[in-house]
Amino acid sequence: MSPEGISTVARQEFTIRIRAGRWRWLLAIWFVLLSLFTLLMRTSISRVGQDDATDKGVVVYGGLALLVLALALLVSPALSAQSVNGDRERGTLATLQVTRLTAGDIAFGKLAAAWGTSLVFVALSLPLIGYAMTLGGVPLVRVLVSTLVLVLLLGSVIAMALCLSTLLSRTTTSGLLAYLVVFVLCVGTLMAFGLGTALTTEKTTITTEEFCPSDPRPGVPQPDGTFSPVQPPEGCQPAQTFDTTRSRTDKVWWLLAPNPFVVLADAAPRLPDETEQERLRREQLQRQGIATSSLRDSDPLGAIGNQVRGLRLKPGETTEVGQASTSETPRLVERRAVWPYGLAFDVLLGIGAMWLTTQRLRTPTRTLPKGQRVA
Amino acid sequence: MTQVLAGEGVVAQGVARRFGDVEAVRGIDLTARPGEVTALVGPNGAGKTTLLLVLATLLVPDAGEVRIAGYDPLTDPDSVRARMGWAPDVFGLYDNLTCREYLSFCGEAMKLGRTAARRRAGDLLEIARLAEYADRPVHTLSRGQKQRLGLTRALVHEPQVLLLDEPASGLDPRSRVELRELLRSLAVQGTTILVSSHLLGDLEEFADRVVFVDSGVTVGEHRIDQLPDSVAPRPWRLRALDMAALVAALAKRGVDHEPPTPAGVDVLLTGDEAAASLLAALVRAKVPVVACQPLGGQLEATYLELTQ
Repeated sequence: MSPEGISTVARQEFTIRIRAGRWRWLLAIWFVLLSLFTLLMRTSISRVGQDDATDKGVVVYGGLALLVLALALLVSPALSAQSVNGDRERGTLATLQVTRLTAGDIAFGKLAAAWGTSLVFVALSLPLIGYAMTLGGVPLVRVLVSTLVLVLLLGSVIAMALCLSTLLSRTTTSGLLAYLVVFVLCVGTLMAFGLGTALTTEKTTITTEEFCPSDPRPGVPQPDGTFSPVQPPEGCQPAQTFDTTRSRTDKVWWLLAPNPFVVLADAAPRLPDETEQERLRREQLQRQGIATSSLRDSDPLGAIGNQVRGLRLKPGETTEVGQASTSETPRLVERRAVWPYGLAFDVLLGIGAMWLTTQRLRTPTRTLPKGQRVA
Repeated sequence: MTQVLAGEGVVAQGVARRFGDVEAVRGIDLTARPGEVTALVGPNGAGKTTLLLVLATLLVPDAGEVRIAGYDPLTDPDSVRARMGWAPDVFGLYDNLTCREYLSFCGEAMKLGRTAARRRAGDLLEIARLAEYADRPVHTLSRGQKQRLGLTRALVHEPQVLLLDEPASGLDPRSRVELRELLRSLAVQGTTILVSSHLLGDLEEFADRVVFVDSGVTVGEHRIDQLPDSVAPRPWRLRALDMAALVAALAKRGVDHEPPTPAGVDVLLTGDEAAASLLAALVRAKVPVVACQPLGGQLEATYLELTQ
């Protein structure tokens, strides 16, 4: 495997791609769709009366990032799912394999061409992301990290689809299965998590302490200076014990981790706390009658992130029936990131897929899939 | 392994390869020497294409030894590929590329370097008489032109060994003549050429040696000018100025013959001696014979005899 070999294959694949399809139309539709979405997001912020917020970009960018991921996941499998078996069908694979290009050159050249094509789509969304940033509140580091994670996720999906095209002889089957892989990652993980949560639900006994609205009770002063006990006042709850169930999402949260949306949202760096200066400025504006509000609580990425991190909390760490909420909880959530596991899992799947793809392209070959000619 | 040929040409010994229950190749021995055109001849399903896939570094044989230009395709496929050109019977082209782009890409894939690959592409387009189509998309070419383009692809790195699977199928008569001349000139320059074909008449004119395979085994390996004398009767065609006299003379001598056609009268004869004596008798009988020639040639006769 060499950079020259990979680039030879990639340039060739890229040229064929550009000439083959109606790319201009597809890219135009993509851009129009995203623009329309951005515009609607912006308009709806006005409609709900949050036009004065200084961080409108947080909502628009969050929505945009999730939509770009969703659409890119729809496009990506098609970019590589028929690459190798399609070449086999057209009779162009064997003549490539007898050249001095190695199996790795062919596999990674094809990956590079498909991945590169998906990056064209990502690049087309950048102007809109730029627009979202001008709406305020979006830190540059968040955009950089999210885009990097997006690119890695797309690469993994493309690698898996490419691998399927080497494993199956029919292009329709591999295309279908590639979309099934995306479906499993996006919806299958949710279903598995839902079932997992139900199956790990356990019985538990909760004991509540006696609770009175006005404890501690003062008692009644006696002549000798002591206080005599009094009957609990009306409305006191006696201590009680009851059986209930509780879900143990801390045992099954990992089922949700490979979900691309979870990875993307959770990986987005949290918004920085409002600085003292910003708070003062906001209050000053409010005093002057210029009402300003904040949309930081409507951050879609942060919301998903906090949600999935919260799933990792163990029973003792989270607020339960009959227990006081601890001030520790938000800080614990902060420390239970989910995305490193999910991203590592997805990327490792992609790397495994590339390894298998390279193995399958190696010649001379010992085995042939059923009903398949080498040439 | 034949020591003499260790450093050149094609050597295959006892090659076997099965696909599931089907024994495609059961034991093929073959040598092809530099500077010679070796023909691989046999019926459909005899294992020719499978053998060529093994030689072309694509398939691992179940048994047997192979050397291409002295290298083992199993252990050192890259060295083989650097010295070997292969043109399969069925192949595809990248439809959206022009002929020049296609050949340049093939040259780059052979690690010629970008500039050298472009130059070589230009030369090859001249050789293939495709220069005027150089900048047209491949899909606008006719079938024969595509076939020629596919052949020149195999020549892009000036290989020492050329493996051709049915190269003449789909070619018009002129292209077939040119293919013959091209292969002869490559052979003169020292290239080892192994070509499988069903066009026995063509092969007889430009092959030096012929290897017959049938049902996955080698059934004969001969120099084309030393084909074994045929023992089975083969058809000869006679033509005379006076066809009626010819037919009458044949009937008188009791020679079985087909009904006469404008092309002549076909008779079955065993061996060249029988033909010579029949001709002499006809001439003595004053039949104005103008042609007496074997049909199908010696190669076809041997082929029919060796294969079932």
